[in-house]
Amino acid sequence: MNWQNVVTIARKDLTVMMTRRSLRIALVVLPLGLALLFAQIVARGNFPADELPKTLNAFLFFFMIYTGALPATIASYSMVGEKVERSLEPLLATPATDGEILLGKGLAALVPPLLAMWAGMFVLMAYCDALTHGTLGYLYFPNWMAAVAVFGFAPLLAIMAVAFSVLWSARVSDVRTAQQLAALTAIPGAGIYIALLSGAFSLDLASLAVMCGAFAVVDTGLAFAARATFHREEILTRWA
Amino acid sequence: MIEIDHLTRTFGNVTAVDGLTLTIAEGEVFGLLGPNGAGKTTTVRMLAGLIGKTSGEALVAGCRVGDPATARKLRGLVGLMPEEAGLYPDLSAARTLDFYGKLYRVPSGMRALRTERLLTMLELWDRRDDRVRTFSKGMKQRLTIARALINDPPVLFLDEPTANLDPEGAKTVRDFLLQLKQDKRTILLNTHQLAEAERVCDRVGIMHKKLIAVGSPDDLRGTGSAHATAIQLAVVTDAVVAAARAASRADVAVSGNTMTVPVDKPERDNPELVKAIVAAGGEIQFVSGIVPSLEETYLKLLDGEKNDGEKHDRVVR
Repeated sequence: MNWQNVVTIARKDLTVMMTRRSLRIALVVLPLGLALLFAQIVARGNFPADELPKTLNAFLFFFMIYTGALPATIASYSMVGEKVERSLEPLLATPATDGEILLGKGLAALVPPLLAMWAGMFVLMAYCDALTHGTLGYLYFPNWMAAVAVFGFAPLLAIMAVAFSVLWSARVSDVRTAQQLAALTAIPGAGIYIALLSGAFSLDLASLAVMCGAFAVVDTGLAFAARATFHREEILTRWA
Repeated sequence: MIEIDHLTRTFGNVTAVDGLTLTIAEGEVFGLLGPNGAGKTTTVRMLAGLIGKTSGEALVAGCRVGDPATARKLRGLVGLMPEEAGLYPDLSAARTLDFYGKLYRVPSGMRALRTERLLTMLELWDRRDDRVRTFSKGMKQRLTIARALINDPPVLFLDEPTANLDPEGAKTVRDFLLQLKQDKRTILLNTHQLAEAERVCDRVGIMHKKLIAVGSPDDLRGTGSAHATAIQLAVVTDAVVAAARAASRADVAVSGNTMTVPVDKPERDNPELVKAIVAAGGEIQFVSGIVPSLEETYLKLLDGEKNDGEKHDRVVR
């Protein structure tokens, strides 16, 4: 693996993506807007002190689910966009390997949304701390659960979205359809949310760790599938 | 530089390239002519290390085609200009070349030098910082040529470089190809622009899944199409026509004061023909050869290939 190629491809993709105003807006507005919205709900909800930890955990979790579609949206541009522009052939003609191209594109799709998600989470946590410190008598964030959510669950969700996008890319020929399919990335999170509401399990550190483990297994499988799909010959002879 | 031996590629039941055998010497510009679906792009993709082969062998710049161990090296040694420009509309021309230069591991200083040289030669230097989406089709096409040359490859594959260009744009690209020819680079040019092949290529091959004919454009013009001699006389009389018919043993066409006589070998048949006409009292004003165009040859060969499906490789060397 030539990391210079990976970085070169990732930087090129980032440059191209950041020229799109809609993506720049999505990266800033969605995480920040959701953070401020959830904080406002906490501020106006008059939640009793014993309800607050559960509420804050739920908001942090919802935040991840909602923002989890961002990497898929960006990956759609990265993969399907290249397909639409017919720019994959010259890229595949370079000495870069399939794995380097895939990883470079994956990183470009993963890093900006992940940073945006983290930034939004930190805003959400800091704002909620400021709002609830008086009621709780202590700063609820940071805590272990938040750490696992931010540094474990969020990246795993993002990786899943990107891997899904690579798999769709083989069958989709326009960015709009790919973005619509990106919404499917929210299904696992929505499923977990419904399971939480139905009382199948409660959102605590242990259950979050189990979810992370399950997502890690799924992500590994998806990453292998994506790697198998992203094959030079397949791309040139069947993706078109 | 390029040695191809019975190279074959099938996709399911469809044979795209069928036993292609060809050698292209170092510094030679070789044109591969053929209609859409003739297997030209598949051939280039195989030779550029983009897709595998079904059978046969090929060596490009010393690298065995289809060998995973040398695939990366092979891709580093060739430049490819695909049929579709495939440029990033939101990158500038200079940034585009820098990106590809990095992937080809061209050192930073060299990248900058080559970028300047190529963009200057292709008349894009003044627009180097403009986004590609603002470029005309011709400018984009020129940029794709620059991209194919950023690694200074000894072997260059150009797939329809003047397709969809206006005459002026096509001329600019053709002029640059002639410049490239001076560099002694080995170039395989896929095209169905016969005039382009005639102007630029040392040899051309006519392909329809397999190679139907190969030779210099001049040689190929005599393949599969008959020569004829046009003779302008002061007056065309019945006696002159009869004499020409007898000398050539062929049908003679008369139009005004000009007779057109089919001949097998002009250098052998024309003196006899002229003698016979003069002996019949003909007063010859002009004699000129009618050489079939490459286009006529191309169409005739392809037509023959499609109609009779014979397995013949007419090789003219």
